[in-house]
Amino acid sequence: MPDGVRLSPSARRASRSGEPRSLGRFAHLAYGVLGAVLVLGLWQAAAASGRFGSGLPSVLETLSALAGLLGTAAFWSELGATIGIAAIGLAVSSVIGVVFGVLAGRFPLVRSATLAVTEFLKPIPPIVVLPLAVMIWGPTQQMAIFLVIVGCALAIAIQTIAGVEDVDPVALSTARSYGIGTAESLWRIVLPSSLPFIGTAMRIAAPASLVVTVVAGLLGGSPGLGRSIYLAQSAGEVANMYALVVVLGVLGVAAQGISSAAERRLLHWHPSFRKTGS
Amino acid sequence: MSTLGTRTGTTSPRPGELLLKVDGLAKSYTSKGKRTDIIGNLTFSVNAGEVVCLVGPSGVGKTTLLKCLAGLHPSTGGEMSIDGRRIYSPPPEMALVFQDYSRSLMPWLTVEKNLRLPLRHLRLPQSEVRTRILDALAAVGLSHAAKQYPWELSGGMQQRVAIARALAYRPEILIMDEPFASVDAQTRFDLEDLVLKIRDDYGMTVLLVTHDIDEAVYLSDRIVAIGLRPAVVLEELTVDLPLPRNQLDTRALPRFAELRNHTLSLIQHASAKPTPSAMEDAVPGAAGAPA
Ligand SMILES: Nc1ncnc2c1ncn2[C@@H]1O[C@H](COP(=O)(O)OP(=O)(O)OP(=O)(O)O)[C@@H](O)[C@H]1O
Ligand SMILES: [Mg+2]
Repeated sequence: MPDGVRLSPSARRASRSGEPRSLGRFAHLAYGVLGAVLVLGLWQAAAASGRFGSGLPSVLETLSALAGLLGTAAFWSELGATIGIAAIGLAVSSVIGVVFGVLAGRFPLVRSATLAVTEFLKPIPPIVVLPLAVMIWGPTQQMAIFLVIVGCALAIAIQTIAGVEDVDPVALSTARSYGIGTAESLWRIVLPSSLPFIGTAMRIAAPASLVVTVVAGLLGGSPGLGRSIYLAQSAGEVANMYALVVVLGVLGVAAQGISSAAERRLLHWHPSFRKTGS
Repeated sequence: MSTLGTRTGTTSPRPGELLLKVDGLAKSYTSKGKRTDIIGNLTFSVNAGEVVCLVGPSGVGKTTLLKCLAGLHPSTGGEMSIDGRRIYSPPPEMALVFQDYSRSLMPWLTVEKNLRLPLRHLRLPQSEVRTRILDALAAVGLSHAAKQYPWELSGGMQQRVAIARALAYRPEILIMDEPFASVDAQTRFDLEDLVLKIRDDYGMTVLLVTHDIDEAVYLSDRIVAIGLRPAVVLEELTVDLPLPRNQLDTRALPRFAELRNHTLSLIQHASAKPTPSAMEDAVPGAAGAPA
């Protein structure tokens, strides 16, 4: 797992130095638009063929349903609920994940004491915990936030541990030789050195937190777009349902973009983000 | 660290008094159940205000010795003390410039903040911190690079940042592991003179590892040559060249050449010798027992 993470920044660096950046970016955008148009075309053709009956509205029907939704207050409040749940869940997850990851990565005792439990929890998807969470909290925001934490905190912790283990021992010795204490060294050396790993974890966790929020709404009835989708589907408002799915897609892209931008900002010193080559 | 911290600055030894003492130091590494004795019964000392160079062939254990001295590695035998206090953990009156200087700089901090890092826990007044940083950067000729990141600098500049960080810390004893290995000849001369200058200006004691025999002779009051496996002190050599030293005149003295040739032959002798197997005849403590 740490290997895969370390690969991604260097791969990005390679592609960047491989060709002029402006051209690469333009081509990237052009191909992106082309791909999207192609998919929309296929969708339109599939809908027009009539093979899917009322299960698949056309692109135009969906877009007009979307325009209708944008005019309702209910849509915006559900959108706000979705973003709120995902954001709070993600924030709590990162605090838990980073604090636990730094401690477990730095102190073998913590690591050993928690290894069995974390390994056991790793393959369990948050869905499994959903019935339990609904039993405790009902179809509420708390329930959804809890599920997001279940879904994200562990992954962030595992990446953080990998980052902490990757900290340069020379940097740690330097801190120690200057009499810098354990707590200060964790805060000023270990945490910043682990940021590249934590950043990768966050980039993956941000869209995941949305997915879990939607699932919690869809299957658990918590507020948000997931619940709206469920309601649209049971009311047979197929075009509305697709419009909501489109909104989710846009939200996912935005989450990804925001976390990438934050990562770039926070890690401007890291080899994969440096502007001046070394 | 906390127990030692209170003593600093109260009664530091006067120039010429014993500051650092290494007595019968032994160090072995154990990996996969196999023990290798790197250092066996090594004894020397450094007086306050002295510049002492450690020379010895590559791989003999110079870096290992410094890490023991700095309290970073536990020794496996003998004693080390600074100001009469045993060294178990990094002593607060010591600063170490690592051989891996570039890895010892934090890439997420600017040069200035790298210098500030070890000063934070000293809780000095902000004005003092600023003065120390500016002075140290000026001393190594990097005032213009304060706001840059280490990775924006050349190897030699990074090395000077690491030295400046140690200077800003104002240790009683500055320990440097091949500090001038990657700078050009002119910068190297400048930095050598800087070492002599900080000794004179701050009364700082300097212990320095170098591969460059000329440098050792030029800088030192005393040269400690170490060799063999496990490593022992082969010879301590007092460098009786006049002070103050000067790159042109000092190096031109006949005595300079004599000392240089003597040291060189010592080192060549030490590296030419087939290293005795550490496993068989190197019982720690036996090697230099009579000494
Ligand atoms: N952590 C370690 N574990 C095992 N062996 C080690 C370790 N560190 C160093 N050694 C061994 O100890 C010996 C001395 O290493 P050291 O780095 O102290 O040499 P050195 O005199 O500083 O060499 P150079 O002049 O090349 O820097 C080497 O043979 C090295 O392989
Ligand atoms: Mg070395």
